[in-house]
Amino acid sequence: MIDADILSSIEMIRDSARGIASQGDFSRVRRLRYTSPGFDRTVWSEMCALGWPALRLSEEKGGVGLGLLAYAALAEELGRGLVPEPIIPALLASAFLEGDALESHLTGKELIIPAWQDARGTVAPLRPLSLTDGRVTQNKLYVPMADGADAFLVVGVDQSALVKASAPGVKIETAGTQDGGNFATVRFENAPCEIIHSGDPTAALAEASLATAAYLLGVMQAATEMTVSYLKTRVQFGKPIAQFQILQHMAVDMRLEVEVSAASIEQAASQWDNEGPTPAARAAISRAKARASSAAMKVTRDAIQLHGGIGFTDEHDIGLCLRKAMVASTLFGNAKAHRSNFGQLRPLVEEV
Amino acid sequence: MAFEAFQLEDYNALSDDEFRTLVQRFLRENHPEDLRHPAKRLHWDQAGRWYMILSQAGWLAPNWPRQYGGMGLNPAKQLIYVEEFEKFGAARTPDHGMMLLGPLLINYGSEEQKAYFLPKILSGEHIWCQGYSEPNAGSDLAALRTEAVLDGDEWVVNGQKIWTTLAGDADWIFCLVRTDNTGKKQQGISFLLIPLDTPGLTIRPIINLELDDEFSEVFFDDVRVPKGNIVGEVNQGWTMAKNLLGFERIFLGGPRQASNALAKLRRLGEHYGRLSDPAFLDQYTAFRMELEDHQALFGRVADKLRRGERLGAEVSFLKLNQTSLYQRITEYGLELMAEDGARLEALNGSNDLAMQTQFLNARASTIYGGTTQVQKNILAKAVLDLP
Repeated sequence: MIDADILSSIEMIRDSARGIASQGDFSRVRRLRYTSPGFDRTVWSEMCALGWPALRLSEEKGGVGLGLLAYAALAEELGRGLVPEPIIPALLASAFLEGDALESHLTGKELIIPAWQDARGTVAPLRPLSLTDGRVTQNKLYVPMADGADAFLVVGVDQSALVKASAPGVKIETAGTQDGGNFATVRFENAPCEIIHSGDPTAALAEASLATAAYLLGVMQAATEMTVSYLKTRVQFGKPIAQFQILQHMAVDMRLEVEVSAASIEQAASQWDNEGPTPAARAAISRAKARASSAAMKVTRDAIQLHGGIGFTDEHDIGLCLRKAMVASTLFGNAKAHRSNFGQLRPLVEEV
Repeated sequence: MAFEAFQLEDYNALSDDEFRTLVQRFLRENHPEDLRHPAKRLHWDQAGRWYMILSQAGWLAPNWPRQYGGMGLNPAKQLIYVEEFEKFGAARTPDHGMMLLGPLLINYGSEEQKAYFLPKILSGEHIWCQGYSEPNAGSDLAALRTEAVLDGDEWVVNGQKIWTTLAGDADWIFCLVRTDNTGKKQQGISFLLIPLDTPGLTIRPIINLELDDEFSEVFFDDVRVPKGNIVGEVNQGWTMAKNLLGFERIFLGGPRQASNALAKLRRLGEHYGRLSDPAFLDQYTAFRMELEDHQALFGRVADKLRRGERLGAEVSFLKLNQTSLYQRITEYGLELMAEDGARLEALNGSNDLAMQTQFLNARASTIYGGTTQVQKNILAKAVLDLP
């Protein structure tokens, strides 16, 4: 069972998150879609002022010192509001950074985005950094919200390199994403960098996966609530369509996915907070991200179906949920990548 | 056999871990080895031995208060008791007396009824079965029509019950009967206790899809029952029975069936040499992850119980999720067996490989205890507030 102190700090986090992710009003989210950098730097500064990028850092490192359970609660609330600011990549960077770079990242003066991915469908970097004379040469894929980065943290299997976005030899090839944000292939060619001895990044990446799962949980909750209230107001054949049993059952199935995802995420985060990044706890996180990714896709697909024609218009907010699920379900490992990670962490031979 | 080591004044005084260890030891030392992990519900001729061991040890009724001969476990300890029994693969006994009737009598029975019936449940002298469903009152249970009419000092019962589990092994049946036809259908129902050897009462076994006679039909033809065999007030039976669907509802959603089916799937994978086949492994891993997700969901509801909260309708999510997973595992397993899945008998005579039986068994799980569709109707109203 979760400790009462932890529960109360989680409630505080949720409250402050709700202040920024205005409930049910997606006009800000809508405005920022398909623009560059795809989020609002002023809002980002507010988030920094609330200490969010420092949430998981210990107090001696100037952090808030909260557990993964609290981080998940924050991500869930932001997911509910479909918030585009790159909180999860930023928290990942915080885990690796030190000194001045960390400080200016935490204050929001300089947004540092990690570039860790070497290949499609992976959950951790595959290669060490290629360094010559303090310069890095590396291609990194799917770097989230790269348009808004002041610097990149190029993450290798055992150390990282901090590179200014404006440094020579940095080529950013941005692609828009379905939700109105962006990610980029970033090519570093002999780019001047500062080496960061970040060590093995898999634990920090697992936390980002779990937070993304929690974000997806928030998206699912928003989609389910929007759909249930639509069923009650839409009238056809002379009655609210909520009276049709088959639609009720679809709505119950959506809620079931929400319940199972919530339980899976909560269990994984608690296990992580209790025992640290053991293989079992990492497997639990992969399980939770796989669940949340596929559940969010199912829930938002069904949400569109239950809205009928209006659900297929860009004008209706329910579509924002589907498009957000299409993106977040793939970030930090999609369902398939995490199922295979689970299989590797918990091989069949070890199970009785 | 001596049970002193397992007989405590106050089990709740133990820490959860100490109690868990005690339950594990109790099972190790007392459960008949040949009855572990039964493939189907056991009849009295097999499970009776285990019932009597539990009875003599004073371990039969974890959920009853001490003053009535139960173990008096708090909800957290009851969960541990059930978890360990399931983990061990303990055989389920004919437990309707302990699970359903006992708590109802304790809450609503007269002092005479408690003094007469409760000890006989504990001693195994009375084995009970449950008479709720009728041919035309399944999901719509309140539509039941078996009627009891007062004639002097006796109720005269006419009608029919169906899906009565292990009726052939029982001595008594507790029934919901109609005692009033005038008001709302839920309001004219009473709770009546009937000895199965009463003249006019006939039991006809039903062979189910597992080719087993677990269920029966029970016919009542002018069955005369003493007036005092009614529990609680006349016409209050529905409310009483419904109030009891509390704690035990969580166990319909426990991970046991899916977990057993998955263990069977693994042994089949081994048997067919598929444990390193990526296609098998992908599917097997996906099921493992789903099972653990379900365990997380179950753990969440169990925590609510431990905190002493009352379970609401959301407990139905457990049953929906578990039974869906259970069925899908058996469906995949059957496909894996290919032609072997057509065999009537277990492969190599080993129950561990009998996925056909498990597949058939799984069909019932989305029907009993409220069908999947009825559960969804309930959840739509109670949780989503749909009309």
